[in-house]
Amino acid sequence: MAEGCISFRRTRPGTKAKDFNRWPDEPFEEMDSTLAVQQYIQQTIRINPANIDLILSMPESQDEGVWKYEHLREFCMELNGLAVKLQIECYPENCSQMTATEQWIFLCAAHKTPKECPAIDYTRHTLDGAACLLNSNKYFPSRVSIKESSVAKLGSVCRRVYRIFSHAYYHHRNIFDEFENDTHLCRRFTVFVTKYNLMSKDNLIVPMNDITEMNEIDHQ
Amino acid sequence: MKVPIHQFYELKMEENSGSAPPTSALGAQNHNGGGGGQQLFGSVNVSVANNKHQQLGGGGINDVDITGDNKEQSPQYSMPGVLHFLQHEWSKFELERSQWELDRAEFQAKIAFLQGERKGQENLKLDLVRRIKMLEYALKQERAKFHKLKYGTDLSVEEGSTGETETDMTTDGGGGDTETPFSSISNITWRQGRQLLRQYLQEIGYTDTIIDVRSNRVRSLLGLNNNQDSEDTNTPALNGNESTNKKRYRHPKYPKSWFSPKKEGCNKQQPSSIAEAMILDTEAAVMANFEFLAHTDIDMEEEDNDGEDEIYDSNTDAKQNKTSIMMEDVDAEAEEVLNELNLLTEHEESIIHVDLDSNDWNSVRRGMQPDSSRRPCEESGSSLGLGELAQLTVNNDAEAAYDMSANNEEACRRSWNAKYTLRSHFDAVRALVFHPTEPVLITASDDHTLKLWNLHKTVPAKKSASLDVEPLYTFRAHTGPVLSLAMNNTGSHCFSGGLDGKIHCWTLPSANIDPYDSYDPSLLSQTLTGHTDAVWGLSMCHPRSQLLSVSADGTVKLWSPASKVPLLNNYTSELDKNPTSVDFIWDEPHKLVVAYEEACVIFDGETGQVVSRLAGDATQGVNRIVAHPILPLVITASEDRSIRFYDHRSASLAHSMVAHLDAVTSLAVDPNGLYLLSGSHDCSIRLWNMDNKTCVQEITAHRKKFDESILDVAFHPSRPFIASAGADALAKVFV
Ligand SMILES: [Zn+2]
Ligand SMILES: [Zn+2]
Repeated sequence: MAEGCISFRRTRPGTKAKDFNRWPDEPFEEMDSTLAVQQYIQQTIRINPANIDLILSMPESQDEGVWKYEHLREFCMELNGLAVKLQIECYPENCSQMTATEQWIFLCAAHKTPKECPAIDYTRHTLDGAACLLNSNKYFPSRVSIKESSVAKLGSVCRRVYRIFSHAYYHHRNIFDEFENDTHLCRRFTVFVTKYNLMSKDNLIVPMNDITEMNEIDHQ
Repeated sequence: MKVPIHQFYELKMEENSGSAPPTSALGAQNHNGGGGGQQLFGSVNVSVANNKHQQLGGGGINDVDITGDNKEQSPQYSMPGVLHFLQHEWSKFELERSQWELDRAEFQAKIAFLQGERKGQENLKLDLVRRIKMLEYALKQERAKFHKLKYGTDLSVEEGSTGETETDMTTDGGGGDTETPFSSISNITWRQGRQLLRQYLQEIGYTDTIIDVRSNRVRSLLGLNNNQDSEDTNTPALNGNESTNKKRYRHPKYPKSWFSPKKEGCNKQQPSSIAEAMILDTEAAVMANFEFLAHTDIDMEEEDNDGEDEIYDSNTDAKQNKTSIMMEDVDAEAEEVLNELNLLTEHEESIIHVDLDSNDWNSVRRGMQPDSSRRPCEESGSSLGLGELAQLTVNNDAEAAYDMSANNEEACRRSWNAKYTLRSHFDAVRALVFHPTEPVLITASDDHTLKLWNLHKTVPAKKSASLDVEPLYTFRAHTGPVLSLAMNNTGSHCFSGGLDGKIHCWTLPSANIDPYDSYDPSLLSQTLTGHTDAVWGLSMCHPRSQLLSVSADGTVKLWSPASKVPLLNNYTSELDKNPTSVDFIWDEPHKLVVAYEEACVIFDGETGQVVSRLAGDATQGVNRIVAHPILPLVITASEDRSIRFYDHRSASLAHSMVAHLDAVTSLAVDPNGLYLLSGSHDCSIRLWNMDNKTCVQEITAHRKKFDESILDVAFHPSRPFIASAGADALAKVFV
């Protein structure tokens, strides 16, 4: 009934997976919901997940704090997909510590005292912790304006969740490649944290050649 | 008019600080007094306030103050004195006025509260009536069956008896008419009294506020009073008394204790419901006016003459007691009205009076609140025995009905308030399901996860009444949005259907698990594969531990998750594609009903045959279908904003209503089958009375994301919780 009616952007029960959330695009200016930024980000991702420049180009007059916050929410959400894949082959027996290159062992910050969690637990705990923090009524009570002090928290979330990419890249390369091929998520994340200075370049240890080049261009 | 001298003095100092000579003692001012000033002020009246400007301008005149001479002459006024007095009075009035406005707001809130309570009582009554009718019907059926078995003939005598009942009921209706004269008389006197009061007040130009406060209250209560009267009349008429008894039987019910808390103890017949207390309060107020203003005691005297044994079977002593108490209290009431009149002369009194009034209210509430939780079912025979209920001729079944009502009482009396906010999902929450017994629920989201929540594990949220709950466990296995949920009857397992076409069976971790415990892959106990497209609906048949699923691949499947070969059956309707929702039919559990894009189809679960198919405009765009737990009804929520009720036996439409402002997405029926909860993309959830299909409560619960808002609603199977899931990534629990 409403299927013929184009004016509704909603997915009705019974919709086939290929048509899920497949509705006509809506210009950002016309989105009047409090969730407009999320809507817009998801819409540009749906159009083409590989078009990272478009996905990360912020609409004019958009609050940058909210823009970064909503992107980080989207990253954490999509990282669930990587975590599901890791659950299949990343066991405490073979990955007893969270490592990427053998240089560092990362301690899990989800506990009262940081703990040397196995990689899969680190992954899950970090995503669960990020979900709690990013949904915290204390730090992020609104999705249309964000305090500067809360924006400062985004960097540490970025650093932690990035380790999931790096662990997958260095220890479960097949999973990483398959996931990256579908989502372009690590590439997008790298561009994102670089663009908004959320992580230092030294920590970006998953090689992304062209992005590094781009950074160099940025620096000049 | 008496004006304290020192007030004058202070005022003068303030006003003249710029222009007047320094004044250190009262005596020093005496020479300032001028005869001209005196004469001028001798004629000052209330309207002098208008001249305030000019006179303040004339600083010389304003210097005039009380002198020794002036004190000897009789009305001695000075300009600043009068001004100050007027200002003083004015600010006092303002103060009082704001006080009254405050009180008025308070009263209005109380009225709203009481009306809410009344609604609750009415709902309860309707439930009771409905249940009694159901039981009566069942009894009749049983009797007929018994009769047929015993005598081999159809029952005819019993039919006759029910016919009698109905004639009883119609004659009862006559009782209502005789009531009118009485109430209209009291209305008239009440109006007269009010008119008189208003006249007095207008004479001195007093504001209407005080009258309005009181009359608003009385009028709103009186509206109820009249209704209630006519309902009450049924009781004596049914007992075979003549309608003249009515006044008398009603009388001892005035619980004067509401107005004087100290007598609460000796009054045995306390009102057991809010509504009754309201009536009593109003009646008392009316009676007070009645007596005080019209001086008619006739009604009251008459009442003592009649014997009232038939109605109040018990002790006549008590009756005597009550009457005397009543009289006393009517006096108290009259006094109150007197106080009100005294206001006209002594303004200070008014505040005290209003306080006194609110004390009454407090005592009413004090008296009532503990009662209201248990009384309705204990005493429904007498106090809640409102018209319809009294008419029913149920003997043995009455107690059963009350027992049943005790369970529902909680549900129907309350109004639901948001208490818990479940925030941890990153995207729309598509589904939620409650644990059968614990205050635990699971939500499923577009963010690919399910989360487990324990409502007893909350984190205090600042500056809001609602509590935040942090999730205990996150279930990850779906590779896309999770669309549907179901839980088994022990709460040990839950099932989730996803856009990836999988149905995962999860073992629930302990409700006290550490959220950051290590990963246990065995919690994903099983995966049901078979669907090739999004699984949009799940339904669990608890007694048999069977699971139904609908998928966008066009099939409906029946599973027995514990078995070696879990897939039991496959249902397809040749005419239909794209099933949207499924449910077991609870009163005929071998059947199931499936909502398709174009029609609703009932299948025989064992043979897989289509039993009936409901098609037409009304069955298009159904988003959710649920079966009633007791009645032979299936209920649909559809994209055209409507909720429809079908009798599945006759495959006919029983009722249809436009229920929301936008597409209805979700439905839930409470475990007793009395209430229906619906959620819609219009951002609201609505609670419906299943019996009369009226909306009991509406709550705006979620925000929109694109054109989606509320995606699922649920009743807790055994605890007073309802929940809603929203596209705004939140779930909310109401208590
Ligand atoms: Zn690993
Ligand atoms: Zn950890």
